[in-house]
Amino acid sequence: MRCMTTTVEAGTATAAVHFDQVSKSYGDVRAVDGLSLELRPGETVALLGPNGAGKSTTLDLLLGLRNPDQGSVRVFGLSPRDAIVAGRVGAMLQSGGLMDEITVRELVKLACDLHPKRYPVADVLTRAGIEALADRKVNKLSGGQEQRVRFALATAGANDLIVLDEPTTGMDVSARQAFWATMREQADQGRAVLFATHYLEEADEVADRVLVLHRGRLLADGSSTEIKARAGQRRIAFDLETVDEQVKEKLRKLPFLSSIDISAETVRIQSTDADATVHAVYGQGLYPRNLEVAGLGLEQAFVAITAAEEAKTA
Amino acid sequence: MTSLIRLELVRALRNKKFLFFSVVYPAVLYLILAGTASKDSKVAGTSLTLPTYYMVAMASFGALTAVLMGNSERIAKERESGWVRQLRLTSLPGSGYVLGKISSAAVVSLPSIVIVFVLAAVLKGVTLSASQWLALTGSIWAGSLVFAALGVAIGYLATGDAVRPITMITYFALSLLGGLWIPTTGFPTWLQNIVQWLPTHAYSAVGQAIELGHTPQWKDFAILVAYLLIFTGGAAWLYRKDTRTA
Repeated sequence: MRCMTTTVEAGTATAAVHFDQVSKSYGDVRAVDGLSLELRPGETVALLGPNGAGKSTTLDLLLGLRNPDQGSVRVFGLSPRDAIVAGRVGAMLQSGGLMDEITVRELVKLACDLHPKRYPVADVLTRAGIEALADRKVNKLSGGQEQRVRFALATAGANDLIVLDEPTTGMDVSARQAFWATMREQADQGRAVLFATHYLEEADEVADRVLVLHRGRLLADGSSTEIKARAGQRRIAFDLETVDEQVKEKLRKLPFLSSIDISAETVRIQSTDADATVHAVYGQGLYPRNLEVAGLGLEQAFVAITAAEEAKTA
Repeated sequence: MTSLIRLELVRALRNKKFLFFSVVYPAVLYLILAGTASKDSKVAGTSLTLPTYYMVAMASFGALTAVLMGNSERIAKERESGWVRQLRLTSLPGSGYVLGKISSAAVVSLPSIVIVFVLAAVLKGVTLSASQWLALTGSIWAGSLVFAALGVAIGYLATGDAVRPITMITYFALSLLGGLWIPTTGFPTWLQNIVQWLPTHAYSAVGQAIELGHTPQWKDFAILVAYLLIFTGGAAWLYRKDTRTA
């Protein structure tokens, strides 16, 4: 018994991030709802979810920018603020403004000066690919350039965890690729990286682990392949001449269904293998008209996963 | 923290418009207001000459401009842009940002005081003892902290478009009613009874007492300290509120 307690405590202390039953509301809106999660040191983790899923709030709680209404947040066993003061966490926020009317170099130097485990300014500028911008005024930068400056601020010292909130917003494809290449270098040095995104592809390419957030809850936690399989559903819709009980019975027995909705003559299906499902429709001797097969958007995929989750718990 | 203060200062010194309004403008205003007055014309009800009266008034006004206008708008703007949030992701202590703002404002306000003094001494023949000059500089400079705290409080109270009008109204009302532009001795008695409780009135009263070679009244010191506590307390409360919900 005593031994078990020790193990749990040690686990908590070494976790890069530990959320225990964390909730946060704004008025009537529950942005984060009983969220528990744990990040291990050195992991690259994507926090995936549609807009309004609670990603930004989760990151704010993790960085101590907001306090949870309930539950506790620990970062390397410390309070979020203490972890930042100890120089263990660097972060790049979407909403993070920059000090204007000074040069990029001056701003980066400030970030280095304020970091307990600082890197030389020149190295930080080079790594973020902004040496050429160093003497430019901060308020004269484009959106993508600003993002790179924010990245420089987040990596001004030897952090153990880097937190990024939709870091590639405003970047074109090549800038995006360059950005993630730099990020992989950081991860290869043994740093944990947590980034929020609503691009499934980005999570797929970069992350070891994907956390899916929806309405402030953790819906799924797994490798990107697992998540993609769950989110990779397709939507099938068609009309039938007559829909009687016998037909309904046939429809419900179709393979790979994750949901089915029959209203009057119209049938709407979500399937994990649309080809096989459609094939089976014909196989049942049915003659679908106005057949449509379409991929689910990420947002719809989340809804599908949510529906599946709710059905499971019901 | 020193690197932030240094950077705030560098930025303030680069801002030509801000420098003009806080350093040059009070000096120009002094020359206009005191320019037509002869050396011996007295302010009604006192033994102060007009050039001497306006010297303290404009030095105080310059210091007030530098610390109040500079802080409130910047803080409100930087809270909105998210720079304050970004700073909270560094090891900088929570109060470091505000201290940086107040320190840099204090550095800018010093030349605005000294320039008015130099003009008064050289062009308008104001003569005071060395200890009076030092005491005046020290008291006007230290007194400006009261308004720096007010600037911080307004910066955390107001957002967006509201901050400029609020600052301007506060600034003009305090300057005019506190006697920084025209002597309050010309005000009706009922108004004088009210304005004597304003921080700007106490601020210039301390300076005038030093000019006359009197010991400043305890009442004026007490008023300034009370306002300093109110403004600092208010700023700290608003700051914490902002931190919780930012």
